[in-house]
Amino acid sequence: MARTTPANHYGLAMTSDGGGISARGVRRAFGAVQAVADVDLVARPGRVTALVGPNGSGKTTLLLILAGLLTPDAGHVRVAGYDPAIRGREARARTGWMPDVFGTWDSLTAREVLTTVAAAHRMSRSDGAARAAELLDLVHLGDLADQPAHVLSRGQKQRLGLARALVHDPQVLLLDEPASGLDPRSRVDLRVLVRRLAAQGKTILVSSHVLTELDEMADDAVFLSGGRTIESRSVAGAAAERRRWRLTALDPTGLSAWLEQAGMPVVEIDPATEDDAQPGVIVELDDDTAAAALLRDAVTAGVPVVSLAPAGGVLEQAYLSLELAKGEERR
Amino acid sequence: MSIEVVEVPPSGASPREHRRWQDDWALSWHGVRTVARLELRQRVRSTRWKIALLVWFVVVGGITMLVTGVFSDEWFGDERAMGRTVFGLVVFFVLFLGLLVAPTLSASAINGDRAAGTLATLQATLLTPAEIVVGKLLAAWAAALAFLAASVPFLVFALLTGELSVAPLLSMLAVLTLVLGVVCAIGLAFSAVASKASGSAVLTYLAVAGLSVMTAILFGLTAPLVTQMEEIRVWETVGQGEWEEGQPPACEWSTHEQPVWHSERTWWLLAANPFVIVADAQPLPDEDQLWMTEDPLSAIQLGVRTARSGPTYEQDWCGYGEYYDADGNLVPYESPVQEPEPSEAEVWPWGLGLYLLFGAGSVVVAVRRLRIPTRSLPRGTRVA
Ligand SMILES: Nc1ncnc2c1ncn2[C@@H]1O[C@H](COP(=O)(O)OP(=O)(O)O)[C@@H](O)[C@H]1O
Ligand SMILES: [Mg+2]
Repeated sequence: MARTTPANHYGLAMTSDGGGISARGVRRAFGAVQAVADVDLVARPGRVTALVGPNGSGKTTLLLILAGLLTPDAGHVRVAGYDPAIRGREARARTGWMPDVFGTWDSLTAREVLTTVAAAHRMSRSDGAARAAELLDLVHLGDLADQPAHVLSRGQKQRLGLARALVHDPQVLLLDEPASGLDPRSRVDLRVLVRRLAAQGKTILVSSHVLTELDEMADDAVFLSGGRTIESRSVAGAAAERRRWRLTALDPTGLSAWLEQAGMPVVEIDPATEDDAQPGVIVELDDDTAAAALLRDAVTAGVPVVSLAPAGGVLEQAYLSLELAKGEERR
Repeated sequence: MSIEVVEVPPSGASPREHRRWQDDWALSWHGVRTVARLELRQRVRSTRWKIALLVWFVVVGGITMLVTGVFSDEWFGDERAMGRTVFGLVVFFVLFLGLLVAPTLSASAINGDRAAGTLATLQATLLTPAEIVVGKLLAAWAAALAFLAASVPFLVFALLTGELSVAPLLSMLAVLTLVLGVVCAIGLAFSAVASKASGSAVLTYLAVAGLSVMTAILFGLTAPLVTQMEEIRVWETVGQGEWEEGQPPACEWSTHEQPVWHSERTWWLLAANPFVIVADAQPLPDEDQLWMTEDPLSAIQLGVRTARSGPTYEQDWCGYGEYYDADGNLVPYESPVQEPEPSEAEVWPWGLGLYLLFGAGSVVVAVRRLRIPTRSLPRGTRVA
């Protein structure tokens, strides 16, 4: 009765666009609120694409449209080769969706949550049980497997949600703020897992407003603001770009004086370290080579440098500069 | 910084695609069972449910004991009438309580899940909306039947004391089962339409109250509309009899102009009443017991059948019962007027048919609301 292959049982060939996700001119309004105003996005198989934007910028709404749960008002969407609004079944068979608010069936155990989702994906009972056990190990919930899901902590629920999205081994993964509530250990696990899935050729779209957590995970980034794509770019190659660095020294005044003299104006005092004994100063440097040169010169000149590091992640900087450039305001 | 060039096939490139109906309406046993099992697991493990079942058992048991105590054998002098009364009362209360409980079992099944964020999780799988709705309906119905099952010991007790034959009464239970299923379906539809669980519960209770009470009130209110002045033949007394001498007054026929209620034109209003449907699903009592049964269900059945047969054009205004003649012999009274005959035509199939339509309509409404992708969300709700 139950089918062993979750996906593909319609036997339809995939269309020629090779999978992945593409969205063009997507719009969606809720009454007067234009949640998604105009989004263009491409996420390629084998790559992790970050969906970056402040709260309320329409990330969740866009992911719901891609997951086939919401109708776009306009625009063109393809997920794994299918339009989720017309061939929803085929698209859903190939899509794993992890919602940002994790609702779960209170009285089911973690294992039952996974076997239920497996059954809902038309997997046989034995396949579902095997897959559930495998995934529980993968997200390190093995020893909590037979606890009711509502006793899990937020981070554990989040991991269960990730496992739930993976039950039917989808080609496309839509992860909505997957790292929120995770402890550092789990964040590392998440990053390793996501990279591994990408290496298997899956298309992964990860949304977040915490940019540092995406930095080491993403290959590409799409920036949203006010429901619009304001930029699509690749994350690699940031080392060759002009960006901000934070510099601290035992003697902050001496450091500032030397920088002045060396013709490298201080952009600002890092607000996060303003009240510290050694406040960090922010400078703009062309690339990594320039940073190395600055450090060498400072040490040679006898400035007691303690640290030199990029101020914030690549994405954070790119994002903040975009916001500045566009004069966008946080909603 | 490289800006990606987006390559998307133009929308018009492939022939216009359409949604397939089976993506929404296909039903597989595997899918329905998955949803039903999920729902039942959720419910059965909550302690609230076990307490509710226990309270139910105690209440129905209490009512049975009370009824048996009040209507003791001496009241009837007939075991059969007594058994039937107890049975009728128990079924009546089971229906009454069932109509109170069934809406709570399904009226939050969809909007409750939506609020908890679990509905979208199901919708995002390969389950069709029809499978989700039917699965939830089966689970709610099964829960309602658990309450029915908890009343079975008392029904069996009534059957045994009354030495009643089982078969005819089973039809009443079968109809009761279906009525509860339909109430569950109505609750499910409201929970798909209303955004708040409290809202759908209220709507479902209003619907149930409308069917149980409003139908009867409408039946009463429409009476003047179907009442007209007509001539009827009346068997009435002439002069005074001499009772001391064992001489009752003489009676004779006369005609009177008076209002006549044509209830045969509005009886169908009662057919939509759940109590009528269940009560009428038993065979009419034997002729000799017709006006003797005391349980509410038999009374309701008799009432609706009499309403269906309409007015009688001969009335007995004379009837004084038996009397003692001059010699002290008991003389039975014989009336030339026929007793009003309850109609032999059954009412319940009409009601049950209507209810099955309600049930099917509710399922259709709920499925349509669960189709994805969603175009319009209930106000103030999010998908996730
Ligand atoms: N179901 C809804 N009804 C009304 N407004 C909504 C709904 N969902 C989202 N919005 C609004 O749309 C905007 C985008 O929301 P969302 O996609 O959740 O943003 P993000 O996930 O980027 O934080 C917000 O202003 C939000 O209030
Ligand atoms: Mg969000």
